[in-house]
Amino acid sequence: MTSRVGYPMYVCALLAAAAVLSGTAAAQGRGALVEAIGTTEPDPLPPGGPAPRMADGRPDLSGVWFSGVIGRPSAWSRTRREPLEEEPVPVRPEVKAKLEGMTRTEIQLLSPGVNCLPLGVPGVFVSNPHPFQIITIPGMFVQLIEVSNDWRLVYTDKRPHPEYPDPLFYGNSSAWWEGDTLVIDSIAIDERTWVMNNGWYHSDQLRIVERIRRPSRNYLEYQFTAEDPKVLTRPWTSGWRKYSLSQEADQLFENFCTNNQNPEQFKKLLDLEVDRKR
Amino acid sequence: MTCSHKPSWFLAVLCAFAAAVPALAHHSFAAEFDAKKCSEITGVLTSVDWQNPHAYIYVDVKSAAGAAESVTFQLSSISNLRRGGMERKNMIDNFGKAVTVRGCAAKNGEKNRYAASFIKFPDGKIYRLGQDVEGLFGTNN
Repeated sequence: MTSRVGYPMYVCALLAAAAVLSGTAAAQGRGALVEAIGTTEPDPLPPGGPAPRMADGRPDLSGVWFSGVIGRPSAWSRTRREPLEEEPVPVRPEVKAKLEGMTRTEIQLLSPGVNCLPLGVPGVFVSNPHPFQIITIPGMFVQLIEVSNDWRLVYTDKRPHPEYPDPLFYGNSSAWWEGDTLVIDSIAIDERTWVMNNGWYHSDQLRIVERIRRPSRNYLEYQFTAEDPKVLTRPWTSGWRKYSLSQEADQLFENFCTNNQNPEQFKKLLDLEVDRKR
Repeated sequence: MTCSHKPSWFLAVLCAFAAAVPALAHHSFAAEFDAKKCSEITGVLTSVDWQNPHAYIYVDVKSAAGAAESVTFQLSSISNLRRGGMERKNMIDNFGKAVTVRGCAAKNGEKNRYAASFIKFPDGKIYRLGQDVEGLFGTNN
């Protein structure tokens, strides 16, 4: 037996609803929102003072970081996300045709995240819905990645790439500091990763140059440049994405991706959709 | 050229992803569940699988014929649930009690399988359980 329950019974005070109506709810045309435990509406974090520094004088990037500006998960928050303006990605015409030919279901089901693959570079930043922890010491950058209990270690001594680097999910990285910005230059990135979680696949020619800085204690900023002559007509540089210092218990959870859904069923759905396109 | 001026499908998707990562989109709600077939389902909470990347709860719901059928609800990851104030204990404390869960039906027609967006316990408390695909909460996801 299923029973529908009217939304008004879930609504808190009218005043609260009215306040929210000025935001997302109005855009959605709803007059009443469900008030549930788990919904947050914090203000963006203040800068929080200068960034801490390591013994060598470089910024210390250490901390647990969430995507966005509230120092906690943004998904169940009503705090508006800051817009990010970026140039269109200059994909080659044949790549554009391929991407536009993919259905949303295909994109969902083929994405590395859905298939429990490592997020790769720059996915670990730009396609990562979970927090990560950074530990920097002079000469080393360590990223502990909550999803799939993954990690990444990069030496910041500008060591050169080998002549025949192994293709790896996080690639082969050469890293150095440019002033207060950490630069990580990665090549040989496993082709099973995507540059972004929207179908933007890449070739074995992908080079990602990441720039990471900590302008103040509470914020981390991240930008990447992608070069991939087999997929892009020219290099493309992202906007600066913001990450904010965790205001929670400052710990990562175990979060293995075990694909405990129903992958066989997904495959059937995908096959059905591909059949319909034929 | 900014995101808002690009009509291309690929770029539109790119722009949508660019602003921030949709934090509960790890697995494919859109592929598996139908956001237009959501309803509130009342029954007796019987058990929970507290797992990543998705937790599951099971609710016995009486059919029109009077027989109890087990309904499966897929939840977000336990890390998202914990950060959203939902602990496994909240579920265990309500085993054997009547709860109402809002869920969206499986696209494949599999009976009694839903993705949950919230649960209401007998004490009246409502907890988020998954994505806000219907815009019920006015949140980012």
